[in-house]
Formats: sequence, structure tokens, C-alpha cells
Amino acid sequence: MADALHTLSAAELGRRLSAGLLTSRTLCEALIARYHLVNKKVGAFTHLDEADVLAQAEASDARRKAGEGRGPLEGIPVAIKDNIAVKGQPLTCSSKMLASLVSPYDAHVTERLRAAGAILYGRLNMDEFAMGSSTENSAIQKTFNPWDLACIPGGSSGGSAAALAAGLVPLALGSDTGGSIRQPASHCGVVGLKPTYGLISRFGLVAFASSLDQIGPMARCIEDCELLLRALASADARDMTCFGPSDRAFTPAGDAKKLRIGIPKGFLGKGVGAEVATAVTAAIEFYRSQGCAISEVELPSADLAVPTYYVVATAEASSNLGRYDGVRYGHRSASAGTPVEMMTNSRSEGFGAEVKRRILLGTFVLSAGYADAYYMRALRARSKIRAEYLAALATVDVLLTPTVPTPAFKVGEKASDPLQLYLEDIFTIPANLAGLPAISVPCGKSGHLPVGFHLVGAPLSEAKLLAAGRLFEAAHGFAHQQAAL
Amino acid sequence: MDRPPLIAMAEGFDIDHLAKLARLNLTAEEKALYSSQLNQILGHFQTLAKADLPETIDLARVVSESALRSDEPGPVLGAEAVTRIAPASRDGQISVPRVVDDEA
Amino acid sequence: MSSSPSDWEVVIGLEVHVQLHTRAKVFASSPWGFGKEPNEQVDPVVLGLPGTLPVVNREAVEKSILFGLVVGSSVPEQCAWDRKNYFYPDNPKNYQLTQKDFPVVVGGQVEIELPGASRNVMGEHKFIRIHHAHLEEDVGKLSHAGSGSLVDYNRAGVPLLEIVTEPDLRSSAEAEAFLRSLVALLTQAGVADCDMEKGQLRCDCNVSIRRRGAEKLGTRTETKNLNSISSVRDTVIYETARQIRELEAGRSITQETRGWNAELSRGYVLRDKEDAHDYRYFPDPDIPTLRISRETVARLQKLVPENLYDRQRRYVEKFGLPFTAASVLVANRELAEWFEAAAAAHPANPQGIANLVTNDLLRDLAASGGAGAAPADEVLPGVSLASCPIKPAQLAGLVKLTDDGVISKQQAKEVFAEMFKTGQEAVTIVDAKGLRQNSDTGELEKIVQEVIADPAVAKSIAEYRAGNEKAINALKGPIMKRTQGKANPVLIDQLLRKFLG
Repeated sequence: MADALHTLSAAELGRRLSAGLLTSRTLCEALIARYHLVNKKVGAFTHLDEADVLAQAEASDARRKAGEGRGPLEGIPVAIKDNIAVKGQPLTCSSKMLASLVSPYDAHVTERLRAAGAILYGRLNMDEFAMGSSTENSAIQKTFNPWDLACIPGGSSGGSAAALAAGLVPLALGSDTGGSIRQPASHCGVVGLKPTYGLISRFGLVAFASSLDQIGPMARCIEDCELLLRALASADARDMTCFGPSDRAFTPAGDAKKLRIGIPKGFLGKGVGAEVATAVTAAIEFYRSQGCAISEVELPSADLAVPTYYVVATAEASSNLGRYDGVRYGHRSASAGTPVEMMTNSRSEGFGAEVKRRILLGTFVLSAGYADAYYMRALRARSKIRAEYLAALATVDVLLTPTVPTPAFKVGEKASDPLQLYLEDIFTIPANLAGLPAISVPCGKSGHLPVGFHLVGAPLSEAKLLAAGRLFEAAHGFAHQQAAL
Repeated sequence: MDRPPLIAMAEGFDIDHLAKLARLNLTAEEKALYSSQLNQILGHFQTLAKADLPETIDLARVVSESALRSDEPGPVLGAEAVTRIAPASRDGQISVPRVVDDEA
Repeated sequence: MSSSPSDWEVVIGLEVHVQLHTRAKVFASSPWGFGKEPNEQVDPVVLGLPGTLPVVNREAVEKSILFGLVVGSSVPEQCAWDRKNYFYPDNPKNYQLTQKDFPVVVGGQVEIELPGASRNVMGEHKFIRIHHAHLEEDVGKLSHAGSGSLVDYNRAGVPLLEIVTEPDLRSSAEAEAFLRSLVALLTQAGVADCDMEKGQLRCDCNVSIRRRGAEKLGTRTETKNLNSISSVRDTVIYETARQIRELEAGRSITQETRGWNAELSRGYVLRDKEDAHDYRYFPDPDIPTLRISRETVARLQKLVPENLYDRQRRYVEKFGLPFTAASVLVANRELAEWFEAAAAAHPANPQGIANLVTNDLLRDLAASGGAGAAPADEVLPGVSLASCPIKPAQLAGLVKLTDDGVISKQQAKEVFAEMFKTGQEAVTIVDAKGLRQNSDTGELEKIVQEVIADPAVAKSIAEYRAGNEKAINALKGPIMKRTQGKANPVLIDQLLRKFLG
């Protein structure tokens, strides 16, 4: 059975581990073997400490043998995006700036995974400092879409999505600021969920845009996604934006067929490719056939979302990335000079183009004379967008759109047009601006490339999103799908 | 009305000044490329300039004192760990090039 | 003492940075305190490691609110924190968490007392308005070593309350009086220790000059990082003179940031920063707005001690203390409370008690040394009343013995010294040493008459009767000798005068 292990879901693996049909050690050995075969093609992982993984696996097996198994994630490998701190492991954020950094502390989610008995499995490639939607901005390596190795996997959690789609790991953590979990999930045909802002602690997540960032679970099916979400969501006094216990998020949703689904007016017209439109429309029709009420909703400020996001996110990022100056950790320029020169050279050598672009933009929108016109206006626009979404979600349970207007593009195709890339975040960005939970669920193909649909819910309605996803998944064949590699 | 108007952002956007503020060195090519790309992006942000927006910002989460931390000292990294991570150190302190101005 | 000629007026505003008395830092849980090896009080949050987040220390907030109540400000419903972005090696995140728009203290005032015409005369009182006070984090410490510099982040993240005055001060004397008063308020309320030798209080001083009677303020300069009251005073004097010189020479004042060289006693211009002052403030997204409950305010209100000048007025009016004694007592809250406990035990003679406390007790406490008092305390340098060998009631007992005539004032000094050494009750010592003075009128009358009759003192008697008051003292010696020094001197004096006529 060893060669099929990588195709199994985390839930199924958990069942087999519990039943004694499998050991974590065997499982990890199988995945490591596949890593050696496949990762060089896909480039999902930037780092995998095999000895450490096997040691964790043995410890897990010993716990289980002693009757001290910690739950459904015991012995299950979870791969971690390289912007989430794991003590003793690299924390590079796929940047030259942090290439040498080994984290001296654990993120909250890392502690939660350890407490759940999960195996912390490697470091995943990403767009540098989570800035990007193709993982092409990684300073370390390229990641390729397992469904078409000439295409990007999406970003910034491209390594996470690719690892899942290539059968390299059953569960992965990503982070999402403007769509960085959901968009690569859509491009790679897997499930990705961004929780309600504040549900999962950001302590240990390298900050890009503090008021927008969230860690979230990624998996090949809804059941696995939920398993991981439950392990991660908990109060953490070290993050003042993380609110208390999360039971509300898991209150049973009731019958998914009774969900009211809202389709934002005009969304299918926004540069959406024909095959994406077809797949998403089919998803809408599926829900309708199940008895869900489908209605059109108005979101008049939809056009403000992308500019608002890029002003707020880059402003916060320009400040969050100020700490990277070569003084206390990370890359320090070898060139001599004054402290100002040292910091400037270190930053210039350490950051890639997209990061610099965003820092410059963020610095501009906060700068004297411009902060009112840009940053303060963006906050007001954000208020308005949030209010509109909450109003819409008072009349329906979820809003449904495509996740991305078009499927994964070819590597290098959009490298010279950052604005174009920004505009593709149109469906995912509002959930970050409004702090709402959102999920991408695979629903078809455009040619051979995966397509996903996107659901947004009211605050703490994760259960409804998962229920809707489960209803769809059960009737279609997209769960557990992996590219043939 | 907001000032300066977004239409005029081509004048307001001084890449040399911004690079200095952000502690970034840019080559002449980078300056040209980023200027043009960022001005294009800012041009797209016209919708933000023209939009009818509420006066108040209703986003701030408000917490009570229960969210504050008690005054219990917690664990420290230790000077050894701090200097181990640091690119350069001496006698337990982090070393940097000579700082000249004494404003603290 | 103002040094400006009569047609110029100096206007001074102060920004005082005070390290609050807490165990942990303001946004991180690392401990802090003086004297640790470099970088031993640093955790991932302090260092600004990627992924770390600030969490606000409740004690720091409450001490800030308490300060606001001490200066009579009304506590805002909410307060919030902002980021002040600038690059500097001692600034771990390259932004400082501070409060720009919604600080924790708004308004208030500090009563100050200027020196009087002489030591025994109370000087003028004035109120200096507080504009606001905000809670922020301190930065690390830079030192210079050869061709490089070194950074120690132990101080980074220490809670700082920045107290900003209105430009109400008009002289170096007022600036000094303000700082002394502020330090007393802060230490007496337990808000801060204000040990300036440990850098716990630093001051930025804004000075401008204008023609007397003018309404508009002149251009001001800011002298930063003054770490002693004398350097603030000297800076004001220096800067006042310098600006007047400039203006009288027809030049104008440049708005600039300056430093003070205490060794050379002169100010200097700090090098201009290239990107001067575009701090790109914005609300910190990691710290939500804090709602301050009225219950918390009520609870903290109870911790506000009596204002030292209210107490001083009370001592002068109710206890009849002279200004100097009252002034010494109120300078230290522990001492004042000790005094009041003693006075409560013997309400008939607060002046006598105050006298013993401010002279003998303080002198002996200082001489005995010992650790523990608030370091900013000039009244009780390095000493704590907690380790005082005498209890308030005991001192009261001593004074009562003197007032009752059981011992003389002279003997009381001797008893006090013994009390301080042994901690025993006054009565015990009096009895052990047999010090009860002889107030037996009958017996003393006999002795007095015997001495008067002695021809050895006839000359002195004659001189006394001729008008020389002091001659009577010559008779007291023999009387004391015959009573082994125990005759009640007051009684002896009365009897002598009675019999000598």
C-alpha cells in the first residue's frame, strides 16, 4: 500500500494510523521518497529536514503506542509556508534578506500543531514576504503548477498549493493577505480557507499587512481542511487582534441545502475567462438544484476594493518591513560605510523588485502631504466595503464568485505588468478588507488547468463555508485530486 | 477636498525622496521602471479619489482592559542567543558602523 | 532665577520622559531593570524578530492613568497607539509604538513652589498646565567603541510616559521647580522611581524668547535628552542668553534640535537628520483601541495620595508647623505619613514631634545608611523608613514625656539617641538610666534657697538684680550639681526668679 499513501487524505491516514494499519514513520518515509522524486520538478519545498521529520514521526508512534495519541492529527505531516515560525527551522520568507535566519521561537500555530501531535514537515516556497500572486517573486527558487509545469502555481502560498497538488503532503499551512491561500488553491485544484480575521493567532506569522494577514489551512478536501482549521483556531494572548475561543466558528451550519447564496451583480463579467465562467456557473446551478436559494446582491463599492487594498496593504507592509535593516538579524551588506549606508545597502541587496515596489508605494501613501489623500481615504473606503458586505451577508449566507478570473498563466507571462496581476485579486481581496472568512473549492477545469469557486461568509461562519463545500464536493470528483507526476 | 489631488500624483511622487525615506538604493533603471509602474498603479487608484466615502472610519476593534497583559516578567532569549543571530557582535552587544549624530 | 533683561520674556515647555515602575516592558513581557549585562533583557518581541507582536502591559497603562488622576486630568474613554516610523540602530522595529492622536492622559496641571526670599520663607506657588501624557516604548542604548558603535537592547521596550507641558514656564527657576514637583508627584504615587542616575527620567527642553507683553511665541529650539535637573536649569539659562544675544544682534532664531554638553556647560546643534521628521504616523494595526472603564478609574482614584502642597498647607495651618519643617516632611510621602502617625499618637504637640523628626531622626537615619529608599529622594538619600529603628508611636511617647516635664529637652536628645540605637520605648530608657528629672517643688525650693545663700554666687546675684539676665545661669550649675543633673530646668529657672525677685 506504500505507493498509494500520498494519495490518501489526512482524515483517512488518521484512521489508518489509529487502527494500527500504518505508522507515522512509514508514512513519512513514503512522503520523503516522493519528495525526492517530485520536488525537483515542482519546487514546492525549499527545505526539508528529513532526520527531524523521522524523529518526530518516531516520537509520535511512541506516543500512540503508549496510548498517548493526541487526536486526529497525531502523526500526520503538515507542511509549513516559510513565513510561519518553527523553532530551529529556517524562516526565510523566500527572501535573501532572511536567507540565514533560523527561528528561535515557535509561532502559536506551530505550538498548536505540536500539541496536536502533528509532524512539522518542511518549509514551503512562497512569493517573497508574501508579496505576489505567482510565487515567481521567490528569491530562492521557482515553483511550478503540478497540473502544468510551464505554469505558475499561484501565490503567495504557491509552494503550499503545489505540494498538495503534487501529493507531497496531505496538509499545508498558508497565509492570506489578499488571496494568497485561495488563489493558489484555485490554480492547483485544492481547498484553501482564509478564516475570519482574528480567529487564528498571527503570533509567529511574519507580518506583511497586519490588518489583513491570516494563516489558514490548505488541503485536498473539505474534511481535511476542517481538521486543520480546528487545530489552529484558539485564543492567544500574544496577539491582541486574536479574539477568544472559536466555538462559534464551528457551530453546526444546519442543512447546507438551505443555504442562501448571493451572486454579486456583474461579477461574472469582470474579465472572467469563458471556461472559468462555465465552471463557476455550473457550480451555481448545482447549488440551485440542491434547493439553495440563489439571488443577486449589490456590492456597489466593488471597484474600490483593489485600490483600497493596495493602499492599506502596502502602507502597513512598508512599516512592517522597516525592521529588516541588517542590524539585528538577517542579511547585512558586506559594504562598509555609515549606519545609514549599511541599512540601505542591506535592504537593497536583500529585497527583490516586488517588495521594493510595494515598500515605495506604501511609503508614498503614508508620507507627509499624501497620507490624507491616500491612506486615510483608503481606510474610509475599507469601512464602506465592509459595511456593504455585512449588509449583503445579512440577506444571504454566502457570496459566490470565481476565485480568480482566469486560470494559471505561464511562468514569466505577467512578470512585467504588476498592475495586471493586482487586478486579478478582485474576487479575493474584499474578504481580507472586511475580515470575513472565505474558501476556494475546486469546481472544474479550464483546459487542463484547475478552476475554483469562491465563497465568502459573515464573520465566524466557517462552518457554513465548509458545509457548502462539503455538499459540492460530495457530488463531484474534485476532492483528493492530484496531478499525475 | 483632499490635497493634493490624485491627478497630480505624477508630481507628488518623488522616487528619490521615497527611496531615501525607505532606505533603498535604486539604480537609474530601477528608478525609471518603478516610477512608471507605480504611477500607472496610482493612476488606477483614481476610483478611490473620486469615490463618495463616509466621513467616519468604522473599523477599529475596541478591547477592554481584559485584553491587556499582566505585569509578569516572561522568558528572555539570553545575550548568547541574541548575538548568535546578529550579523556582528562584540561583548554581548550588537555592533554597527560608527553612529555619528547623537540624537536619541 | 531669571536671567533675562526686563524687555525679553523667555517661554519654556518641557517634554519629560519617565520610565514607569513596572516589572515587565510595555509591549513585551521581558523583564527590565538597571544593571543587567547587555542584551540579557531581550525577548523575540523586544528584538523585533519577524512574526512577533506587541501586547500592552496593564500595569503600565494603570500607572499612566494614575498619573493623569494625580495631576487632575479627566481620563479619556479610549486611547490608542500609533507607529512612528524612522530608521535608527537603537529602534528594533524601526518604528516606535507611541500615542499620537489618542493619548492616555489629556490635560491636568502641576503645582510648583518657587524658592522664597529666604530659607524659612515659602516661595510663590504657580500652576503649570499639562498638555497631555502618552505611553510609549523606550529604545535601546547606543555606545561608541573605537571605529564602531554598539547596541544594547535592554532598554528597548521599557515603558515611557512622555509628559508634555504647555509653554507655561517663564524661568530656569520655574523649570527646576516644575521638575522637582513632578518627581515628587511621580514617586509619591508610586508611578515611577525617577532615578536620574539610572536614566529613568530624561527631559527635552523647548525654549523661545519674545518681547515682554507680546502674544505670539518666538521661534523655539529644542534641547534633547537632558538627564538631570541641573542640566535643564543650565540649558534654560544658556539658551535664553544665546537667543537674546542673537535677537539683539539682529539675527533670527533657527528652529533646531540641540544637545547639551554638561562638562563644557554649553549647547550645540545636533546634526540634522536627512529625512527630518516624516514619521508617517498611522494607527498601529496590531493593538486595538483600548476602552478605559470607569471602574478602573474609580479604583485608581483611591490610590492618588494627598498632593504634597495640600499636605504642606495642612501642616502649616492645622499643625502650626513652620514652613521649613513642613516642607521637609512633605518632600517624602513615607516621612510625612510617619510624622502623622506620631502626631496622631500625641496630638498636643505636633511641632515638637516635627522638630525631632526633621532634625534628629533624619540626621540619624542618614548617618546609619542602609538601602532601599526612592533614589530621587534628597530627603532620605538611600534610606528607607521601613528600616527605621524607632516607631512613630515611640517618638510620640518621647515628646509626651518631655511635655509632661518628666525629662528635660536636653535629656530627650540623649534618650532619642538611645532609642535609635536600641529601638526601646522612651520610658524604658528613662527609667533604666534614672533620668526622670526632679520636679519636686518642695525639695527644689530648699536646694535653690541653699544655693542662693552661698556666698560664692553673691556676685552673680547682684549682677542679675542689676539687670544682667544671663547672670542667673551661674546659679543653675550648682543647683544641677546638687541634683545630679536631674533638676527640672524650667522649674529651677522659675524658682530662682521667684526668690531673687
